[in-house]
Amino acid sequence: MKTSIFGAALVAATAIAGAAQADKLDDIIASGTLRCAVVLDFPPMGMRDDQNNPIGFDVDYCNDLAAALGVTAEIVETPFPERIPALMAGRVDVGVASTSDTLERAKTVGMSVPYYAFENAVVAREGVEMTNWEGMKGKTVGATAGTYEAIWLEGKVKEWGEGEFRPYQTQADVFLALSQGQLDATVSTVEVANANVKSGNFPGIRVVDKAPMVPDYVALFTLREEYGLINYLNLFVNQQVRTGRYAELYTKWVGEGEPADLTVNGVYR
Amino acid sequence: MFGYTFQWKQALARLPQMLDGALVTMQIAILSMVIGIVLAVLLTVFRRSGSRILGAIATTWVEVARNTPALFQIYMAHFGLASFGIHLSPYVSLLVGITFNNAGYLAENFRGALKAIPETQTRAGRSLGMSPLQAFRYIVMPQMLRIAFLPMTNQMVWAVLMTSLGVTVGMNTDLFGVTQALNALTFRTFELFAIAAVIFYLIVKVIQTAARLIAWRLFRY
Repeated sequence: MKTSIFGAALVAATAIAGAAQADKLDDIIASGTLRCAVVLDFPPMGMRDDQNNPIGFDVDYCNDLAAALGVTAEIVETPFPERIPALMAGRVDVGVASTSDTLERAKTVGMSVPYYAFENAVVAREGVEMTNWEGMKGKTVGATAGTYEAIWLEGKVKEWGEGEFRPYQTQADVFLALSQGQLDATVSTVEVANANVKSGNFPGIRVVDKAPMVPDYVALFTLREEYGLINYLNLFVNQQVRTGRYAELYTKWVGEGEPADLTVNGVYR
Repeated sequence: MFGYTFQWKQALARLPQMLDGALVTMQIAILSMVIGIVLAVLLTVFRRSGSRILGAIATTWVEVARNTPALFQIYMAHFGLASFGIHLSPYVSLLVGITFNNAGYLAENFRGALKAIPETQTRAGRSLGMSPLQAFRYIVMPQMLRIAFLPMTNQMVWAVLMTSLGVTVGMNTDLFGVTQALNALTFRTFELFAIAAVIFYLIVKVIQTAARLIAWRLFRY
């Protein structure tokens, strides 16, 4: 009798210790669901189709990740400013949300290696005289709050000391403001700029120039201390490129041509 | 569990910027109240004037201001007017939106206050040779403002809290806008918003205390 109680206690103790050691990666596999934070206001990376289903590069990327883990994907829509609260409050497991991997942010969340890289374009309203990106000096410009290009543009406006910077909460509001004349110009990713000019939803806008900033490398993110999961994400990004899936998704959502090189010359990682 | 380590030092380093934002928030709230009170008195006069057109204008204003979200009103001031070629900056859009809302609610407060003032007082004033406007100006309005004073403080508190809606129209100099921008930069969401909440709380406390002192000084019989 005594031995069996001891045995049961030992089993229970092992189970508890095992549970305490389980990390996020284990939790995801055990729960059978991968919850991804995706921005669905950021075509072609994240958007909704006619039936209101989430689609886009980031959505497919999340589905691929879930398939690799052998679980089902759940897309949780998060506007740009709400990505981190969603992660911290435990509403999502990973962010597949075109998140720029700045050093400032990496103090707070854990970033994978880059899974995509954007180039940015300057988009202006017809009738605003602007021949290159420097034409934005002194103008009223804006971008989507919380994005890499918004941080860059706000810095530029401060540096120039003239003009005005306005951050809007969504990409759609930025282009609405531009199209209505609230803004003279904006900076957005080349992908978004081309998609919006082509769509005809925002009449009277044109792409002026490329913005002269370092390519905007974006990473998957999760909690900072989840090394097991971050490790897995890094390998997953590597595999996506290696297997040609990265190029395939690029062709599917962005268009013909080569996707951006995700390596940086002359340095490790 | 909450997978997050709080880093207050990093967030508190941004406190001066946030306090600058708090000043802008106060400025907008006060301006929107001052203009809102003037407009509300006008709307009240319109409604009592007996003119059908003026009455209709006032009623429409009050109905729209009270029965639609403040967010919608601010959004319309920015994007709605712009589609008619009227371009307001984020600051002005926010001010216009909140003022519109304030005027609507205050007009309703004033109406309630007027109900509490016996009609006979106006008649007594008129019988002393006052014009209808004089009777309103010297007899009714002072009492109306006194009765409506506490609801007005309430609206002032609302005005302060409503400034946080400015981020939807590209506002980045008020308390909430500054906090949101710092959040994008550092991802220190919880610390920054906790600080912002404390600042909002203190602003509101100051307003309430000030209102109580003013009421005590002004309304002693």
